[in-house]
Amino acid sequence: MKSFRRLIYPYMVWAGIFIVIPMLMIVIYAFTKEGNDTMTLQFTIENFVRFFEDQIFIQVLIRSLILAIITTIICILIGYPAAYFIARLKPNSQSIMVLLITLPMWINMLVRTYAWRGILLETGLPEEIKVYIGMVYNFLPFMILQIYTSLSKMDPSLLVAAQDLGCNSRQVFTKVILPLSVPGIISGITLVFLPAVSSFFIPKLLGGGSYVLIGNLIENYFVTTGDWNFGSAISLIMTVVILLSMYFTKKFDYDKENGK
Amino acid sequence: MKKLIEFRNIVKEFDGNIVLKGINLDIYENEFVTLLGPSGCGKTTLLRILGGFLEQDQGEVIFDGQDISPVPAYKRPINTVFQKYALFPHLNVYENVAFGLKIKKMAKDLIKPKVERMIELVGLAGFENRDVTLLSGGQQQRVAIARALVNEPDVLLLDEPLAALDHKLRKEMQHELKRIQEEVGITFIFVTHDQEEALTMSDKIVVMRNGIIEQVGTPIEIYNEPINEYVANFIGDSNILDGVMKEDYLVNFDDKDYKCVDFGFRPNEKVDVVIRPEDITIKAKGQGKLNGQVISVLFKGVHYEVVVETKKGASKTVILHVLQDRDIFNAEKKEKMHATDFTMDIEDVADITDEDIIKRANAQAWDSETNEDISIGSLDYQIDAQPGRYPVVFKTHNGTFITVNVTVVEPKVVKDQEAKIGIQAFDIYKSVDEIKESMAISFDLKTWADAYAWYLDNDDEVEIDDVRFDFDPNEIVEGDYEVTFLTMGREYKIHTTEKQEEGSIVSIDFDPEDIHVMSKMVQG
Repeated sequence: MKSFRRLIYPYMVWAGIFIVIPMLMIVIYAFTKEGNDTMTLQFTIENFVRFFEDQIFIQVLIRSLILAIITTIICILIGYPAAYFIARLKPNSQSIMVLLITLPMWINMLVRTYAWRGILLETGLPEEIKVYIGMVYNFLPFMILQIYTSLSKMDPSLLVAAQDLGCNSRQVFTKVILPLSVPGIISGITLVFLPAVSSFFIPKLLGGGSYVLIGNLIENYFVTTGDWNFGSAISLIMTVVILLSMYFTKKFDYDKENGK
Repeated sequence: MKKLIEFRNIVKEFDGNIVLKGINLDIYENEFVTLLGPSGCGKTTLLRILGGFLEQDQGEVIFDGQDISPVPAYKRPINTVFQKYALFPHLNVYENVAFGLKIKKMAKDLIKPKVERMIELVGLAGFENRDVTLLSGGQQQRVAIARALVNEPDVLLLDEPLAALDHKLRKEMQHELKRIQEEVGITFIFVTHDQEEALTMSDKIVVMRNGIIEQVGTPIEIYNEPINEYVANFIGDSNILDGVMKEDYLVNFDDKDYKCVDFGFRPNEKVDVVIRPEDITIKAKGQGKLNGQVISVLFKGVHYEVVVETKKGASKTVILHVLQDRDIFNAEKKEKMHATDFTMDIEDVADITDEDIIKRANAQAWDSETNEDISIGSLDYQIDAQPGRYPVVFKTHNGTFITVNVTVVEPKVVKDQEAKIGIQAFDIYKSVDEIKESMAISFDLKTWADAYAWYLDNDDEVEIDDVRFDFDPNEIVEGDYEVTFLTMGREYKIHTTEKQEEGSIVSIDFDPEDIHVMSKMVQG
């Protein structure tokens, strides 16, 4: 067994070069000023002060969070009934439905979004609606699959037991099925909310540039302005926001599982 | 006692399979009723119909004077303990037990004392806040019982609830369940395939088979007066013998007449006779009703299980000729071949097939380098229905061949008039390696000798129960050996506390009231 552990080395090297070092560089950039070189490194919190002093940046951050929250809620509202429906089909039909749901994911996300741009271009819908359509379209499968998994592995005898104890079909759902599918909803949220907060090309392509989110902001500072230091600071702030939201969802999940 | 549940002509079909064939059964208040039968007999289906989880195709379920067929499961005053407990994993012990009462919107201050009392009744006081998924099987079982009973149902259904527990815990829970039933005083309907469970706990046992009820009665009635061979076999150990009822109170079996206490059969009706192993006593030779030889003694804890053979089975001895290996080696094609002589019945010559010959001669071909099997390409033989020796040539596609001799003989049948059994077997010709390579020598000897036994009166096959030989298959050398095939004789199983010597001659004895005569079962 011990020799198998060496198989982890390639990934450790990979993770070191492509995850740990870039993260460290972002931290260094965020806490330094433009024009520094390695010899004259000067640490500062100026980038952060700049972010929090400017109302616009805060507004963009809040707008991003709202977009992600609403996208997640819509995904739950559409995804839960869909997953519930699929989980009650015959096993064969279930596999076909799951295949249908995952089918669009075989195509690159960028390609799909360009297709949406073409479709939505002439509709005259408000930019914001277009962005929501694109976001929900892209993230819905993740939500459905997570909820479907938790529903399909539920022991059917629990539902019979609930009926036996006096539950009508509505109560079987609210008292047993829903609470037991919470872990699925939570992992669905993790898979939808987190990438939605930082998404930048869907809003960019479908929102026509007027709809600026935190992801666009970061892209802008790195690519257009070339202010890597400020861009890194925004990235770091977003990372903290994501970590906090993950912490709260996990905490919620944990409490639910313990029935408190 | 008041009648609580009436099943009237319940029929249930699944995909063209009739699992309940018209069940009629009455269940009374405060009864502990057990539905007993092997899996697939319909006992769980009947329970699910009563619980409201399945709908019968025909018939009525009368509950307290009313047909409850249209009442949905959640409105029935019935609760169930499921086989795998089906506890809610997102709720703790207290919340699981309180579940039904909360659904009924009972006030919280009323729920608490009821739940606590029930948790105490099942012996789980102090476990209220435990996570149910972390409890042992026995504890989960207790939670499931409390969760069902707290709703104060009129009937508690238990679907093989003890099946997943180990032996000791199962015993403990049997007593627990009986105690709880006596304490709460409601009807328990318990489904099991375990006869011991049924006998220990029930007021009434319902023995089921293939969707019908075979017998309903108290445990003592079912045990002492089984209605037919099936019930006798299912409940307890028994000796079941073919017999003929000569007249009232007189039954004939094993070629002797015995007094018994049974009556009401047609004269000379064929019957099954049951004698329970614990009702037979062992006496000194000549002192009892039948003499026999002790052929096995097993220690069972409280008693010994002794098998006495009162009549030997039929036997036939043949010669096993162990020969030198005669493998053919075709060096050019790198093929090896093997086959041995065999003897066959003159009557079988007409229907012999190539496959039979390959099997009886154990003809094989294989690659001498890789040891991979090669198929036998063709056989060349001319066997007449005349006693004599006939050559058979086996050939592979590459032309390697081997010749063996088949000896056709008149069948040498032993007809044992006392046992009314005929038995035949042929001499065997095998190589040392074939004997050594055999994985199951008794089975192979039967195949090689084409040993077969049958009843002389109706030609039904009799199993050859024993193959005796005095060589060690792993150490065998060339030569001739005797092999004897035996059918099972008349054996009696006896439970006794006195140890018996294997091989000793004893006499067995039983009283007229120990003989239970039953009608022959209608097959179906």
